[in-house]
Amino acid sequence: MSEFDDLKKKIELSKNKYKIITPKNNNSTIGTALRISTELVAAVFVASLIGHYIDKWLGTKPVFLIILLLVGIAAGIFNVVRSAKMINKD
Amino acid sequence: MHQFEVHKIGPSFSINGVDLSFTNSSLFMLIGSLLIITFFIAGTRKANIVPNKIQLLNEIAFNFISKMISETAGPKARPYFPFILTIFLFILTLNMIGLLPYAFTVTSQIIITFFLAVVIFIGVTIVGFVKNGIGFLKIFAPSGVPIFLFPIIVAIEIISFLSRPVSLSVRLFANMLAGHTMLKVFGGFVVSLGIVGGWLPLSFSVALTALEILVAFLQAYVFAVLSCIYLNDALNMHH
Repeated sequence: MSEFDDLKKKIELSKNKYKIITPKNNNSTIGTALRISTELVAAVFVASLIGHYIDKWLGTKPVFLIILLLVGIAAGIFNVVRSAKMINKD
Repeated sequence: MHQFEVHKIGPSFSINGVDLSFTNSSLFMLIGSLLIITFFIAGTRKANIVPNKIQLLNEIAFNFISKMISETAGPKARPYFPFILTIFLFILTLNMIGLLPYAFTVTSQIIITFFLAVVIFIGVTIVGFVKNGIGFLKIFAPSGVPIFLFPIIVAIEIISFLSRPVSLSVRLFANMLAGHTMLKVFGGFVVSLGIVGGWLPLSFSVALTALEILVAFLQAYVFAVLSCIYLNDALNMHH
């Protein structure tokens, strides 16, 4: 066990010698910020794709595309607001 | 551009018309996986109380992901730790290998990132249904919504749930593609401006390489964090 105690002492000593300044961990903040950019586009893209295929299936050309495009824009904004809230909470 | 082209290495090989030839993409994925395996074998071969350098790196990677999971998804997500660590290290290694000259960046192919994202998406959905049963559908119906807004909110929630794999994959793919294209453009400037004016773009591309290293790390981190956040939604439902 003495090996262990010696090591502890050494660590304490060097800690005092070189004051370790731990940098603020803002990785996750940048990470959350990077989320937002694609979040908006992805929802619009997915929604209009679904709308396009429903139209193709039912033969009602632009109706579902327009409805789902609007829903997609709403969902995109929703996602962005949600991510922004997450940043604020941290 | 040449650096993003997938080409076959060795003989063509297909089953039922599905092309399964070995490509440069597969080669670099193999290299990445082998690197990770050697990294961990080298680090854990002789485990000491006082770690040597490689063991220290192992422990840092381990603790980093472990901390991230407990911060974002809580103690219930512990069983999924190996999966998240694998995803993180795989993407990180492939991103970093892609920065080397003449290397192929696997993560700049949308199909690779989309497949990874779809695996996570389907996995999280299955976990959600197994843990919560049919109650998992409640994530589409937040409480406290007026009855006349209810159908719209449900539609919005479904769309935003379905857009997860797309946003997850497009983010990684677009960042890698854009970074490499930018480096290529500045490299082209160095050549075309020659010895007289080439110094400015050269210094820019040095700075951009540093930025790309940061982006390579951050994108792997973001991918892992978002997987954890999605897992959190499936494991700890509190709507």
